[in-house]
This record gives sequence, C-alpha cells and structure tokens, in this order.
Amino acid sequence: MTVTAMSVPTQPGVREQVSADEWQTRVDLAALYRLVAAEGMTDLAATHISARVPGPDDHFLINPYGLMYEEVTASNLVKVDLNGEKVMESPFPVNPAGFTIHSAVHMARPDVACVVHTHTAAGMAFASVETEVLPLSQTAMQFYGRTGFHAWEGISTDLDERERIVRDLGQNRALILHNHGLLVAGPTIPASWVLIFQLERVCRTQLEAMAAARAMGTDLVLVPVAVAEKTAEGFDQSLRNAAEGRTNFDWDAHLSALDAEDDSFRH
Amino acid sequence: MPATAVDTVPSLKGKVPDDEWEARVELAAFYRLVAKHKWDDLVGTHISARVPGHPDQFLINPYGLLFDEITASSLVKVDMDGNVLQDSAYPVNAAGFTIHSSVLKGRDDIVSVAHTHTVAGMALSAVEGTLRPVHQKALRFYNALSYHAYEGIADDPDECARLQRDLGENDAMVLENHGLLTCGRNIRSTWALLYNLEKCCQVQIALEASGGEVVELSNDIKESTYALFQRSLKSNSTGSKLDGWESSLRLLAKEDPSFMH
Repeated sequence: MTVTAMSVPTQPGVREQVSADEWQTRVDLAALYRLVAAEGMTDLAATHISARVPGPDDHFLINPYGLMYEEVTASNLVKVDLNGEKVMESPFPVNPAGFTIHSAVHMARPDVACVVHTHTAAGMAFASVETEVLPLSQTAMQFYGRTGFHAWEGISTDLDERERIVRDLGQNRALILHNHGLLVAGPTIPASWVLIFQLERVCRTQLEAMAAARAMGTDLVLVPVAVAEKTAEGFDQSLRNAAEGRTNFDWDAHLSALDAEDDSFRH
Repeated sequence: MPATAVDTVPSLKGKVPDDEWEARVELAAFYRLVAKHKWDDLVGTHISARVPGHPDQFLINPYGLLFDEITASSLVKVDMDGNVLQDSAYPVNAAGFTIHSSVLKGRDDIVSVAHTHTVAGMALSAVEGTLRPVHQKALRFYNALSYHAYEGIADDPDECARLQRDLGENDAMVLENHGLLTCGRNIRSTWALLYNLEKCCQVQIALEASGGEVVELSNDIKESTYALFQRSLKSNSTGSKLDGWESSLRLLAKEDPSFMH
C-alpha cells in the first residue's frame, strides 16, 4: 500500500524562489493552519484559509487540495491568482470552487491579509439559527455590529455570488455564512487567528446561553448598546494597531508552542 | 505493563493477500481515527470491511481491545455465519456481528460499515424527529437517512431482516436509542460519512437546544444540493479528496505506526 507509498509530494527550493516577505507569509499561514487543526476547527480536508502575498500582484496562498491541515507547510502552500489558477508550479491540485468565497473578499478588501473559513459544529449551528452576535460577553462584543450575514445559495461555482458576498461582508471583520459556516477577514495573519478563535467561542457561548436561558425561562442579559459599541471600538483599535504593525497578538508565543510540538510547518 | 496486540499478535503481512493486507491497514486506521476523535466507547461498537475478493467474508475488531490498540493483524476475519476464519486470541462480539453482517448480507454494493455510540449521536437518536435539512452538511442526508427502532442488545438474528428493511438503499442510519451507523463502497467513504453524520448530530443538538428559529432553506436549494451530493457519490467511487484520507493515514503513521502492524 498505500500507507508507506503515500508520501507527501515535496517541493524543494520554494524558499529560494520567493521573496523574504512571501516566505514569512508562508510560514505564518502554515502555522495558522496548524493552530486551527489543533483547536479541532477543521472539516477533514475541506475548507480553506487564504493569505494575500505581499506586493503589487493579486496573488494568494491556499492549502494544497487533499491534505489535512496538519500536513500543510510553508513550501506546499499553493500560490494562485484571483481565479484560483496556479501562478507558481506545484505538484498539488487546488480546489477552485472553495476559493470563490475567499477571492470575493480579497478582490473587494485589499486591507484584508487573511481569510479563514470554517465548518465547525458550533459555527454551522450558529449559522443555521436566525440570530445575530448578541453583546453577551466581552469576547462577543468585538463582533458586535461588525458581523455580516450572507444567505446560502447552495453549493455553486457561480462567480456572481462574489458580488453578494462582498455586499454582505461590507467593512465587517466577520461574516456568518447562513446554513454553512463562519468566515473572518483580518488585517494580518495573527489577527485572523485571534478572530476565528474568538468567533468560534462566541458561537458556542451564545448557543449555550440561549439554551440555558430557555431552560430557565429567563432572559439573556444584554449589555447596553452604548457599552457594547464602545467595547467594539476598542477592538477596532487593536485591529488598526495590527494593520500598522504595532501588535502581532503574541504570535511568537503561538509559533513557539507549535515549534515545541512539531516544527514541520516551517519547511 | 500488559502486552498489547502489537506485541502478541504475529504480523499477517505477506501471509495474507496484498489486497487483504491493505484493507486491514485501512480498517485499523479507521479504528484509530475514531479513537482519536473520542468517538469510541471503551471496547464497544464496531467497524467492519469485506475481505477483498471474498465478498462473503469480513474483518471486524478483536473484542476486548480498545480502538487505539487495534492493529491490521489483530482484526478478525469471519464469514457471514460468524465462523472465525483465522487463528485469533480474541473473540468476535455477537451484537456487533449481527448488525454488521446484516448490512453486508443485505447490500452487495456495500464494503464497509461503521457504528458509534457518541454523545451527540445517542442524543439525536433519543429525540423524536429527524435530522433537519438546515445546513450544507445535513443536506447530504436529506431524505436519505434511515431510522431503526431499538430492540435490545442486537443478539437476535431475527433483527437482521428489520435492520436491512430499515436501512433500505440508504448509506446512513440512526439506530434509535442507541447510536449511528454509516456504510459505503469503500473504507474511506464510510469514514467520511461517519464524520459528517456525527457533525450533523452535534449541530442539531446545539441548535435545537438554543431554541432559536432556524434559517429555512428553499426546497430548490435542498433538492439541488442533495442531487449534487448524489452525483458526486456516483462519479466518485473511490472517495473524494475532501476526505483527506491519505493525509490522515500518514498523520496516524507519524504519530503511532502500530496500526500498520
């Protein structure tokens, strides 16, 4: 078989072929794939995380189709254009259908460095309920009034959907894909990690709080609008800080934790 | 420390045909993946696969081993009457045999069967109502999920006909008050189906408990998405890349290659 014969295709020399900035983006993005996997937010080999390659070209990095996130490395990330077509040789296929959502966001929002999309159980459940992100916790308030909703149009490769994704995301940092899953769009890779980690927690928390309140026959305790808005603005500021390079949300600590366990993402 | 199957069961590699060995390795990997996700239940529940070239024989777990101890060589080969066809220090569980042999006897197109007792699966199986077609993943099971009423521990051979009747032509079934079952034309697709059904149960339990109103989908979207899943199932007899199967096996091998023993 099979198992022993099934080595991952390797792609030597990528580091030498790309700019230092692109290499750093590759390492950070591969690390993000590993962090999402470690948090159990994967869906076998489905869904994508994409990052914009620094520079004037509209080039993006995404996962090689068919690999679990734990096998993604800096070198095997595939470089594609806005149509999901490869712009650099790679032994791996890409899944262009899944890239449509990402390309829509990247086309419309040059301020976005990284898009994360998940199909977690809590994310899908939240996305299947008629609700919004309620100001139930400090964690939730970072998404208060900063979250869009996009109606599900079925599994389609209809590129027209891009316009509606862009409209529904607007200037928000999160998009609930109804009947489907979650999406966040951050100004840096570390910021996108913080956003997806927190949005996942927000979904779980809100569903549990709704269930508890329902069982107890009581109401949810909502923070006053002005307080929620002020709190959300504080998070706006930290994302601006990230965009300006003034915070990386302790990214180095996350990388060190990954290194201690398995540093293969760096290759 | 007690000896495990890796220490005590002699390797069958090279002693059984290559295709049987491959099926053993993949099935052992399936057990390890279920354990890794914590969808196992001590030594309970079973996953089976037909022996390639011998449709009247199948492989099932050595009863008494935890899923994360199961190896390719320790899997037990049985026929459809429950006769053990190899030297094995381990017995085969009667209830497991009933459920798995029923599906394999009733459905020539099926190669592998999986069954779990997860919290989300058992919870869904204990609530009146069906899996609701409210998100992308659940539409894979839209009008295509069977239900089988609980009859007690499945050691009554008469239950076989009712299991077959209830499964019908579907590839997934809720065993009411009991757990989940999926089956497929190969081991990897049975795994992917189990993964997706488990996740659908987690979603439904969470969204029902919340009491929130569901974002309803139009019948057009439901029907067309289900049809798309069916088309891809027909055109993709060897499994989809989305299941990450080879990748999962490599990761298991990297972590603990003993399943390949």
